[in-house]
Amino acid sequence: MGGACSRKRDQPVNEDNLNRGVCGRYTKSGSSKWLGTSISRAPMDASQGNRSCPSLMDLCIYKIREDISNHSTFSMLPRDISQQIFDDLVCSQRLNGSILEAFRDCALQDLNLGEYPGFNDSWMDVVSSQGSSLLSVDLSASDVTDRGLIYLEDCKNLQALNFNYCDQISDNGLPRISGLSNLTTLSFKRNNLITAQGLSSLSGLINLVNLDLEICPKIHGGLIHLKGLTMLESLNVNCCNCINDADMKAISGLASLKKLQIASSKVTDNGVAFLRDLKKLSLLNMEGCPVTAACLESLTALDALLYLNLGRCNLTDDGCEKFSKLQSLKVLNLGFNEISSAILVHLKDLTNLESLNLDSGRINDEGMVHLAGLFRLKCLELSDTEVGSSGLRHLSGLLNLESLNLSFTVVTDGGLRKLSGLSSLKSLNLDARQITDAGLAALTNLTGLTHLDLFGARITDSGTNYLRSFKNLRSLEICGGGLTDVGVKNIKDLTSLTLLNLSQNSHLTDKSLESISGLTQLVSLNMSNSRVTSAGLQHLKSLKKLKSLTLESCKVTANDIRKLQSTDLPNLVSFRPE
Amino acid sequence: MKKEDTVKLISAEGFEFVIDKKAAMVSQTIRNMLTSPGSFAETEHGEVTFPEINTTILEKICQYFYWSLQYASGKETEFHIEPELTLELMMAANYLHT
Repeated sequence: MGGACSRKRDQPVNEDNLNRGVCGRYTKSGSSKWLGTSISRAPMDASQGNRSCPSLMDLCIYKIREDISNHSTFSMLPRDISQQIFDDLVCSQRLNGSILEAFRDCALQDLNLGEYPGFNDSWMDVVSSQGSSLLSVDLSASDVTDRGLIYLEDCKNLQALNFNYCDQISDNGLPRISGLSNLTTLSFKRNNLITAQGLSSLSGLINLVNLDLEICPKIHGGLIHLKGLTMLESLNVNCCNCINDADMKAISGLASLKKLQIASSKVTDNGVAFLRDLKKLSLLNMEGCPVTAACLESLTALDALLYLNLGRCNLTDDGCEKFSKLQSLKVLNLGFNEISSAILVHLKDLTNLESLNLDSGRINDEGMVHLAGLFRLKCLELSDTEVGSSGLRHLSGLLNLESLNLSFTVVTDGGLRKLSGLSSLKSLNLDARQITDAGLAALTNLTGLTHLDLFGARITDSGTNYLRSFKNLRSLEICGGGLTDVGVKNIKDLTSLTLLNLSQNSHLTDKSLESISGLTQLVSLNMSNSRVTSAGLQHLKSLKKLKSLTLESCKVTANDIRKLQSTDLPNLVSFRPE
Repeated sequence: MKKEDTVKLISAEGFEFVIDKKAAMVSQTIRNMLTSPGSFAETEHGEVTFPEINTTILEKICQYFYWSLQYASGKETEFHIEPELTLELMMAANYLHT
């Protein structure tokens, strides 16, 4: 019970996806790769007709949701029951200021009200009434202010607080939480008001394990106040562009640190030198920092380092021989640096590597030989490099490869045969103009593919016959302009598809919409720049899961889509034209 | 119906409900009581007393057991809950893992 948005107690409050880089929504081709969390709290299906039999507990909770206005208090209920009722009301968005009153003194443990509409300081009194029972509070993106924090002072057992995107909390509010010494997790993402002075209020939170200050642009000089937080394992100051070398000195003694994220800061090689005693550090994200390969000297001291992000830094080939000493590394991002194939020889002994990003480096076919022995590689990013067909033969032994990006390379159809034995491949990006139907024909054994990007490839109707091998495809992009309605018929059996982008195929008509009307798992559909008309929209009525629909430059108006949304597509949250 | 196929559920007031064992087993708690060998007297006598559950609520729970069996066999009707019973019923459901 409780649905997707209730969070179990034993799960971490902040599950950062560390592999996604600095900005999770960045997508190169502009095609919506994944639809982020466009609605983080989808209203739950209130109906009972849900094949598996609802428990009596579920039925009671539905019942309470229905006549919630008749309940003035739940304080007589055991805590675990009132917690379930509370979570359900949050999930279904039935909670408001007056209904919240019924939960006064309920000894609730978790108030997961992140991004909850309407939350403001006037709700805080009921929050406070949970007293010493309260363990976690998520008020992210709410209107809570410094005054509201006063109410938390007596909730002494609080372990986790989330104030992400709370833009009305400033240095003046932070002293209110300075006594909550049981806090292990604290998060203030995107706060423009907090300064070094505010961070001084955190100096007594000696049990803090996770601190997230991502995009807090004024905290420079404040990290010194964290020096007594000896339990701190994770510190995120990504995109705090004020953070510099002096701030690294301030945290150089935090020996428990396992994860340090300083992406897009001003930290240089000199700053990295202060990190050499952080022996437990396993993750270091320096994406977009002005560091060079000279910083590697400091990193060789970090034996526990598994994840190193040096994307968009100032790396050149100079000094890259030090990479050969970072043998514990599993994940290495070197994308968008001025590096060449010459550095690859220094990576050949990093046999623990599972993920390597060389995006936009001057990597050519000769260098690829050094990757041939990295048998643990699961993910290899070669987009925008000089790799061509002859380089691919060095990849044919990497049988663990699950994800390979060859977009904007000079790889041709002839080279793709070398990939046909990579049976673990799930995601393949061949967004390159010179790829044609013939290339696709060489890949039909890759039946495990779930993501195939042929965005700019010149695929025609006859090429779509090969797509029938990829029964597990969940996302497919073919936008090279060569498809007609005949080709789209070959897509209609790919029933696992959740994302389909067929934009820029200007010959497609309403018949194509008819062909895909059976792809009921679709969450995102793009057919822009085609001859689709509003008359064809009726074929989309069966796509009940659709959240995003893009039909730019078609004979379809926003009103047409809105009509469809109101009658048949309740989950549609984003559409174009709008 | 054979005696061993039924089970007797007794409310706080001493009211007895004789129902199919199969229905009673919808409750995880009762299932545990009836199936863990040796550990509960209930296993032997096919009787379970609920000193904390009053007759009205226990009757409702028995109705739910049968409704649940029907539901599982494809007859998806609505289970009616009187608003004034909801909270007590919930506490019982929680105890019975139902």
